[in-house]
Amino acid sequence: MLTSRRLILAHFWLAFAVFGFALVLGAWQMFVRSPLHTWISNPEWYYRSLTAHGTVMGYVFPTLVAMGFGYAISEVSLGRPLVGRRWAWAGFWLIAVGAVMAMIPVALGRASVLYTFYPPLIGNPFYYLGIVLVVVGSWIWVALMSINLRVWKRDNPGVAVPLPMFANVAGSYLWAWTAVGAALELLLQILPVAFGLRSTIDAGLSRVFFSWTLHAIVYFWLMPTYIAYYTIVPRAIGGKIYSDTMARISFILFLVVAMPIGMHHTFADPQVGAGFKFIHSAFTALVALPTLLTVFTICASVEIAARMRGGRGPFGWIGALPWSNPIMMAVAFSFVMLGFGGAGGLVNMSYQLDSSIHNTQWITGHFHLIFGGAIVIMYFAIAYDLWPHLTGRAMRDLRLMRVQLWLWFVGMIVTTFPWHWVGILGMPRRMAYYDYADPAIAPQALSVALSAVGGFILLASGLLFILVLLRAQRAPREDAGAYRFAAALHPPVLTPALNSYALWIALMVGLTVTNYGFPIAQLALRQDTSVPAVYVGADP
Amino acid sequence: MSEDSVLSPRNAWFRRAVGVTAGIFVATALGGFVLLPYAQPDLKVAGLWDAICSAAGVVRTPSAQAPAEPDARLTKVVVTSALPATPAPDAIGRGATLAQQCAICHGPTGVSRADSPNLAGQYAAAIYKQLMDFKTGARVNAVMTPFAKDLSERDMQDLASYYAFLPRLPGYHPVQEKPAPRIVINGAPMRGIAPCGSCHGALDNKTGSPWLEGQPAAYVKAQLFAFASGERRNDISQQMRNIARRMTPEEIQLASEWYASQPSTTIHTN
Amino acid sequence: MTVEDHDIDAARVAERVERRWATLSIAIIVVLAGAAAFAGIHKATMPQARVETVEPQTIHLSGEFTEANLGSAAEPDGSVTVRAVGQQYSFTPQCMVVPVDTPVLFRATSPDVVHGFLIQGTNVNTMLVPGYVSQIPARFSRTGDHLMPCQEFCGVGHEGMWAKVKVVTRDEFLRMSAGNRRVACVD
Repeated sequence: MLTSRRLILAHFWLAFAVFGFALVLGAWQMFVRSPLHTWISNPEWYYRSLTAHGTVMGYVFPTLVAMGFGYAISEVSLGRPLVGRRWAWAGFWLIAVGAVMAMIPVALGRASVLYTFYPPLIGNPFYYLGIVLVVVGSWIWVALMSINLRVWKRDNPGVAVPLPMFANVAGSYLWAWTAVGAALELLLQILPVAFGLRSTIDAGLSRVFFSWTLHAIVYFWLMPTYIAYYTIVPRAIGGKIYSDTMARISFILFLVVAMPIGMHHTFADPQVGAGFKFIHSAFTALVALPTLLTVFTICASVEIAARMRGGRGPFGWIGALPWSNPIMMAVAFSFVMLGFGGAGGLVNMSYQLDSSIHNTQWITGHFHLIFGGAIVIMYFAIAYDLWPHLTGRAMRDLRLMRVQLWLWFVGMIVTTFPWHWVGILGMPRRMAYYDYADPAIAPQALSVALSAVGGFILLASGLLFILVLLRAQRAPREDAGAYRFAAALHPPVLTPALNSYALWIALMVGLTVTNYGFPIAQLALRQDTSVPAVYVGADP
Repeated sequence: MSEDSVLSPRNAWFRRAVGVTAGIFVATALGGFVLLPYAQPDLKVAGLWDAICSAAGVVRTPSAQAPAEPDARLTKVVVTSALPATPAPDAIGRGATLAQQCAICHGPTGVSRADSPNLAGQYAAAIYKQLMDFKTGARVNAVMTPFAKDLSERDMQDLASYYAFLPRLPGYHPVQEKPAPRIVINGAPMRGIAPCGSCHGALDNKTGSPWLEGQPAAYVKAQLFAFASGERRNDISQQMRNIARRMTPEEIQLASEWYASQPSTTIHTN
Repeated sequence: MTVEDHDIDAARVAERVERRWATLSIAIIVVLAGAAAFAGIHKATMPQARVETVEPQTIHLSGEFTEANLGSAAEPDGSVTVRAVGQQYSFTPQCMVVPVDTPVLFRATSPDVVHGFLIQGTNVNTMLVPGYVSQIPARFSRTGDHLMPCQEFCGVGHEGMWAKVKVVTRDEFLRMSAGNRRVACVD
């Protein structure tokens, strides 16, 4: 039952429009800093572009996808129209206005501080205000998801919450709490300084606040992808979910342990004690658990589909899978990239291994592979899967879809593998150009050039994706039937703990207090750790 | 399936989840706060409490290392975005009166005819810092030093406010449509030279740095050579000497001439 | 055997397989975390042991990071301490000298914004956050030059912020430090 089609389409279209815009910037950045281009005639443009690319790809694009998909999940899995559609539109417009408000100072070169903010660098206040609006818009979605579930529970006592909605609401709660770190940084620290009410800021504290958001935001980006793994993929390839319980446990684990691990981003920071780094490192290892569980459950679900299609033998069933189905291709590509990216993540999680690649191009390679690769390719799959139901039109460009997914996969590998490699060689991040003529840097030139080529492959794929959606929007009308999510092999048994959130939210907040409480409190209470702000691109 | 029943020690999920979470936390905390500090070779712990405090990141008071013999030619100014202090209401008027004695070299409107720096529209922080350095002897100039010696703190603030207030008039330097030299726009990364423009205008500005567009080429060039030779040392922690030392004479020439040729109204960051 | 019995059996089998996999997953994670902890404690570098603060805007006036105190200092115990400042947009000293096969301790800070301290080809890699002192031990096993870029965005001149670390023989270092309180290389 999809009644809020316009709302959901608006979210997806805005998401993919800003994605296309940021993708062009990304490809341009890869190109200008590579040996294929001479040094850029104004390095400031590079950082401007980088700020825009990161802000859009990190805050605007995935948030809109999660929201649009979330509204669809709510209507379809609960089988009732969305409660609070007007509020949903308000949230949408807040995000649209916020994104534009943030991008104007960036485009004017008055907020080239990168999407990670980096105080004491301080840009134009409207950049930060725009991001605050985006976050506030997304919090409306969080509230709506919670309300919709509550209304449904009231009308359906004693029935297990459908898995897609359970995961969706878990994701929304995770985001609500995760965003608090950056929100505190923006509202309490940065905005007063940006508006000139204060002239000093505690840079160490703001890095701790930001780490609260920065790691768990990745799991927020990941949620739609994991929901698609569990509830779209098995249905799309003609199988069933192997285990409903395991799926719920995975999402619960994300909710509890995704957040109190962020300090592995501050392993090299002097303002955080070694003991807390150790704790966060150990909890980071823990967050691999839900992913391992998911890999197992999805592989098992896919195997079920293959065997239902007549696959035989310990490995022979793999051949029986519907490999020409775009969803099947997407999930396979996604798993390959998740595997490589996850292996890289294990390196980042260990203090000792991290110290050889911290803040090098390895890191950029890593999160592009995980986010741009494993996660975004499933966003494509979600859009392909939902589109006929949203537009009421046929989607017949299967060949184009396959080419697009192949290009994205190949492009991502070509982009990120050399990127990891130059990171190991010690190439620092976020520089507008490098002197490849220097003998010490010359060996990196070929890899960087290769990466840039990968960037263009990705750009081609992204534009193709938008083309496929546009063509589908103009295709002849056709009733796609009712949208549905995959069913579990064994119907879920109602377990209160796996159908409610109170316990898990309590644990999430509790771990935040234990893992973040002291470092934040100590730095916040000390007066002597504030340093003068350094304004960029504005009146000094 | 009310949520209350889950949030109770009677629920098995509650007991298990809280138990496992607490267990992991306690185990990792023991590792991080006890085991780790004792295993750190460079940390001399004075007992368990000290070990826990160091691992928790309790801030240690900065070590007060005795400095070497003070160098009179190093600046004593503290440069922050709040420099100079908020001007008094009559600062500009008072500054204008004081500035009459500066007009011979720096021009009656702050635009020099004598290869002295143009001060009209210069950042207040930059003017204040240089006056202060002349006064303390960190920067020495046969003409400037005697003037600066007698200036009070308030005088220097007012002069800075006055000159910052003056409009950036086009100087007597020919405006040419020359592309910016590479050293200004790109620097030379492998020699550790950031673009001149990232602090001095054209790309961005750094607090305390002067904008250079329209400044006399001879002046800029002389200062770069003075920084390169170490004759001038009033840049904080060598930030200018690091750059000038590694610039070639040609680059110094190019940068000075290009900045001099730029219309002084080209301000990108203001 | 009825159909329901069969279903229940199948569900039990599924649950057993799940449990095994979950156990295996936990074992993998415990082994990985254990290996990381073991390597950390016994083999490799550790995070900075103490948090130290410093007032960033006055480091050039007094204390450990005044200009005359920057550079490499030979300590009485035979080790070497290198003090450095990272600022927009250079490191001081721009070229650091350290002897080979000697315990070296880098102590550095930033007077303005966040910078990065990364010596290529080594695992010396830390952040310079204004207001705090970063400290990192190292030992260089070969002579030669290393590039030292700032690895954190610090403003428009970030791409020009590169320094060098020169690893010299112990004799050469002794020669350089004879009569000099602090050693740095100029090139």
